[in-house]
Amino acid sequence: MDSGLEEATQKLAWLSFACARDDLESGVALLAELKVLLTRLHSLPPLEKTPNAVEELKIARTIYENAVILSLKIKDDEAFGRNLCQLKEFYINTWLVFARSPYEYQFLGLNLLRLLPENRISEFHTELEHLPLEALNHPCIKYAVELEQSFMEGTYKQLANFCQAVPNETYVYLMDRIAESVRDEIVDCSVEAYDYLPVSVAKKMLMFTSYREFFEYISEEQPEWEIKNCSIHFHMAKPKSHMDLSSFKLIKQALSYAQELEQIV
Amino acid sequence: MPEDVEMNDSQVPPAAAAASDAPAPAQSTLHHLKEIASVIEAGSLSKEVRRISRAVRLTIALRRRLAARDVAAFLALALSPSSEAFARLSALVPKEDGSEMDVDMAAPTAQVSIKHGLPEIEIYCYLLVLIFLIDNKKYDEAKTCASASIARLKSLNRRTVDVLASRLYSYYSYVHELTNTLADIRGTLLALHRMATLHHDELGQETLLNLLLRNYLHYNLYDQAEKLRSKAPRFEAHSNQQFCRYLFYLGKIRTIQLEYTDAKESLLQAARKAPTTARGFRIQCNKWAIIVRLLLGEIPERTVFMQKGMKAALTPYFELTNAVRVGDLELFRSVADKYSSTFSADRTRNLIVRLRHNVIRTGLRNISISYSRISLADIAKKLRLDSENPVADAESIVAKAIRDGAIDATIDHANGWMVSKETGDVYSTNEPQIAFNSRIAFCLNMHNEAVKALRFPPNSHKEKESAEKRRERLQQEEELAKHMAEEDDDDF
Repeated sequence: MDSGLEEATQKLAWLSFACARDDLESGVALLAELKVLLTRLHSLPPLEKTPNAVEELKIARTIYENAVILSLKIKDDEAFGRNLCQLKEFYINTWLVFARSPYEYQFLGLNLLRLLPENRISEFHTELEHLPLEALNHPCIKYAVELEQSFMEGTYKQLANFCQAVPNETYVYLMDRIAESVRDEIVDCSVEAYDYLPVSVAKKMLMFTSYREFFEYISEEQPEWEIKNCSIHFHMAKPKSHMDLSSFKLIKQALSYAQELEQIV
Repeated sequence: MPEDVEMNDSQVPPAAAAASDAPAPAQSTLHHLKEIASVIEAGSLSKEVRRISRAVRLTIALRRRLAARDVAAFLALALSPSSEAFARLSALVPKEDGSEMDVDMAAPTAQVSIKHGLPEIEIYCYLLVLIFLIDNKKYDEAKTCASASIARLKSLNRRTVDVLASRLYSYYSYVHELTNTLADIRGTLLALHRMATLHHDELGQETLLNLLLRNYLHYNLYDQAEKLRSKAPRFEAHSNQQFCRYLFYLGKIRTIQLEYTDAKESLLQAARKAPTTARGFRIQCNKWAIIVRLLLGEIPERTVFMQKGMKAALTPYFELTNAVRVGDLELFRSVADKYSSTFSADRTRNLIVRLRHNVIRTGLRNISISYSRISLADIAKKLRLDSENPVADAESIVAKAIRDGAIDATIDHANGWMVSKETGDVYSTNEPQIAFNSRIAFCLNMHNEAVKALRFPPNSHKEKESAEKRRERLQQEEELAKHMAEEDDDDF
């Protein structure tokens, strides 16, 4: 439908304009209209080949790209995830039909980063496998991969640097979430590794900018920490009892041996 | 996978052919083909699937000696000239001039007569032509032949055709893989799998599931492969080769999903169960198994790399293991760069990248065991961390390692050193019992599997009694009955 296509193109132009201006409500309204329009285009889903297929697919792709950016700005996580999944399908299946979108790697990098703070590392790696080899040299993807590596290794100081050096302004929105999860990780590690830490050092390690925030954090999240003489004691000595026999497990094992021996296979 | 060798045990020599022709040493291929056709006939008439599998095995043994004229002559014999199958297939086989006369003279003994019209023979012809075309690298004709055979198979629903059908499916997928058009046949394979499930064709289901998994894994679509695998119906494996393939694909999926323990089990089992002739397959299994073990933190022994015939292929992995064992990041980086093309070809590159953090962990573990107290600056120097702030990085790395349970130590921030805890007597903990338990479970599992795998010769309980034997048996039963009746009378 040519008229549908033209209408869609027009509305798309308005949508990108609204996004650029940070005009969120009109952006959301326009997006809803555009999605309805998409259902009327004939070549989606690709059941039949229409002559306009290429333009329609391109328009649909651009619509979803803008949808992703919009959902980031209004901080709607579910919509963000949904739109990214649909956008990914376009990238995977249309690379034969026409050239890659210039923003493709940026959005794929966003997808990878989305999985990090929620600790969905296996999905992260599965997504990584989809990417062709040259994608790994692109700054956005490389950023995500190095971020995950630092996460795994535990070089949290480098992570702080990463948070400063985002490759793209759309990534800024995700950085807060990542910073939070990094902080949680550091807290976990420090609790196990140190018996006590001076307050100033702890504040620097946990990347707080002021003492007030730091103390608020402690009182809310970690009530069992004790502050004595300007140093934090993480946990009072909890002697681990070495001699607990876990008798239940041993009984279960012995019973399973007896069962196997008597069983007729 | 480039090294996917056809894993057929060609150990069963064409015994039927060899036995019947002691005087004439060079039996023509055509004669063999006729023998095979008669075996298929017998199998289909008595509904014994084993004979058909045997026929397929004999064909594979003949593969190298197939020539165009043999195939053409066999087609002329086996298919009635008016059928469309004959027309289609003969068009695909290239004509060779001359040497048409030799064919008929070469088989004086054992005239084998082939009944026309059996669907098994027809499907067998399709299979033969397909194998021939693939071996001669005529991929386009092979594709047409394969598609025609699939169309023909859709109308058949006989158990005896299943063995041939599953072979056809694998060659169909193979020919598309060789010409890089695997994505096109995905829909067909899915439809075929549905059909096989409806027909309760278990061998076909197995084969098609493996082909589909291979298809998805070829394009790195690991999540789709996993979704299919988890939902497809599972049952006892019919064919050892298909089971090995399934285990290999399962192992790969699990590795990518970071479930290394399951992956290791599947991959090692696949490598063990594979027949020794399937060297390429075993090399691939071993490569992935080595990487999974490295990712789990254990170092594979040297004997794994020294297996016969695999030494050259496994050399890059050997050097990699060395770098991980020593815990040296520089060495690891240089090895990864040196063999990066091999790793890309094996598609293990992303896994190698993940290994970097294992190298650091192993190095850290060695340091923690050897020193009771060591400064963080020294740790950074030993691990050769290259960053702007090595001491701070070392500190956070050690903290994370402690949290993950890799090492047992505490950090003293004020003095800037790491203090290792005493290892203590390991026999006083539960460790020996846990190790014992895993070994016992493994042995019991193996015992159960061995018992289940025992096979009795089939049909031994179905021996048809001849008329005399039956008379004898009936007589004996009568006597016994009379005897018992007399005894009863005596009691009264």
